Amino acid sequence: MNEGPARLEMPIDRLLAGIRTQMDLDGETEQEVMAEIRDHLEEAFAEAQARGLDDERAWAQAAARFGLGDEVGRALHQAHAGWGTADAVIAAALPVVCALVLRWLAFAPDGTALGWPQLLSRPAFWVVALVALLLPVLKFERWRCALAAWAFFWMLTVLFVALPAMRW
Amino acid sequence: MSIREQMRKGTTTVILLNLLAEAGRPMYGYEIIQELEARSQGYFQFKEGLIYPRLHELERQGLLRAEWHGKEGTRRRKFYTITEAGRRRREKELQGWQNFARHINELLGVESGS
Repeated sequence: MNEGPARLEMPIDRLLAGIRTQMDLDGETEQEVMAEIRDHLEEAFAEAQARGLDDERAWAQAAARFGLGDEVGRALHQAHAGWGTADAVIAAALPVVCALVLRWLAFAPDGTALGWPQLLSRPAFWVVALVALLLPVLKFERWRCALAAWAFFWMLTVLFVALPAMRW
Repeated sequence: MSIREQMRKGTTTVILLNLLAEAGRPMYGYEIIQELEARSQGYFQFKEGLIYPRLHELERQGLLRAEWHGKEGTRRRKFYTITEAGRRRREKELQGWQNFARHINELLGVESGS
């Protein structure tokens, strides 16, 4: 988070709150958007001050040039909204596909579990493991998503191998 | 809405791609806006906040790449660079714009460059 002048905090926070009310983004994206806009406003304020305006006028000018928080928030929401839906579909499909492929890999055609040595020696298993890690990184550009998918993948693997009697 | 506003809105994508292609270096949002206003010599007044949704759209379309510079606890900024896909899009948009401008000029009986 940038460290802006204390006298600026309140008006900036008000404007950011106005933007935030129009958006429905995931926490990390929202935080990044807010940090970018805060940085913009702080620089606009500092430049207006450097031109000789007092704090009040400098802020008024920076805010006027920036535009209305509601309008900017709506535009930001629209800019991100479509991807949110696509991302949600992929995020939901990935664990399902993972589970299906894993089940196919971890069990022989007659339904018996392969066990760790056999499973870990299958190249296809490592391909799926790699996809479970890399796809979220490439698609969402978030390590958090990748680690969640990776953790889910290993949890399923342990379940399939450790509890074969469940006949997943 | 004035013609100037309509034209600016319709050309913001190519304007942003062109600026970043010509700059040849990463630029952050505020810097981009300042440069656009300087280049247009104040003719186009950008509503600054509305540049960000457009930058984010271009980023998600793969036409721009964004990276945060600066460490936690210090000033951090998001810098934008044009990608190869962005350069191809810019060429296409510039060509489209030139054709459009030529045909409008012909329709209006205005000589290009006048």
